[in-house]
Amino acid sequence: MTDKDNIILEDFFKQAAQQQIEDNGFTERVMQNLPKTNTVRRLSRLWSLFCILVGAGLFFAFGGWQVLQGLFFGGLRMLLGWIEVFALTAPTTEININLWFVLLLVGFVLVVLPYQTYRKLSATL
Amino acid sequence: MAELNDIALVTQVAVFHNKRAFDQLVRKYQSPVRRFFLNQTLGDEQLSDDLAQDTFIKAYVNITKFKGLSSFSTWLMRIAYNVFYDDVRARKQTEDVDTSISALRQTSSNGDSNLKMDIYAALALLKPDERTCITLQLIDGYPIEQISKITGIPDNTVKSHLRRGKEKMTIYLKQNGYDR
Repeated sequence: MTDKDNIILEDFFKQAAQQQIEDNGFTERVMQNLPKTNTVRRLSRLWSLFCILVGAGLFFAFGGWQVLQGLFFGGLRMLLGWIEVFALTAPTTEININLWFVLLLVGFVLVVLPYQTYRKLSATL
Repeated sequence: MAELNDIALVTQVAVFHNKRAFDQLVRKYQSPVRRFFLNQTLGDEQLSDDLAQDTFIKAYVNITKFKGLSSFSTWLMRIAYNVFYDDVRARKQTEDVDTSISALRQTSSNGDSNLKMDIYAALALLKPDERTCITLQLIDGYPIEQISKITGIPDNTVKSHLRRGKEKMTIYLKQNGYDR
């Protein structure tokens, strides 16, 4: 392909590239043929939203937040206690760690997972 | 800016089922989509409009699958490409789709210049994949990377299709006196 060949091709397609197709009722036809929105599904979504809002309101009104806070801090205290006990009673012998296994795991996490994610995202554009 | 506007419209369609927003998207993209089909079908207006309509309906139904990783136009053209090849496959079972002469005959006469007929005649010389790559680059102005995303064909294969297609087109144009 020479520069001259490229110029011939560009000139040939120039008019086609500038062509704008008039709508002439095309959009109306498309809009008329769109599938109808499913009313049942829409009402179901609205009902779910309503239930979530009412549930959240009742949760706060009846002190649900305080109960959650209590559970969280209680759990945290218990976890800290376990760690403290473990630190005091932990065995002092060495644990054998297989270096190849660790390298393989790190390689999988750093290379294979990001690559698979990239491929899936590329496929969906 | 145009892409942000598209994303705003897509969001309205996906979240609120706003048909007015979708109407704006159809109006904006009907011309490139219909032109794409006209070039692939070698000027068959009826078939092009049917396929374009199918494309927009599929885009509407699957709009929640648009992730915004590419522009809306690229996503839409990918749907158009798939719709076209689904149609090609469906037709292959009953008839030979690439019967370019019959397609050329179906081209409507209103306003079609000789040059337009020449374009379709020249495109008829190409294989379907070559035709798609050539029209996406030379008529729709997409770079190779975008063509690859639209068609799902690797970059290097797109380059090969473009090179072979351009060679065939150049020979045709020279034989028909376009080099003078």
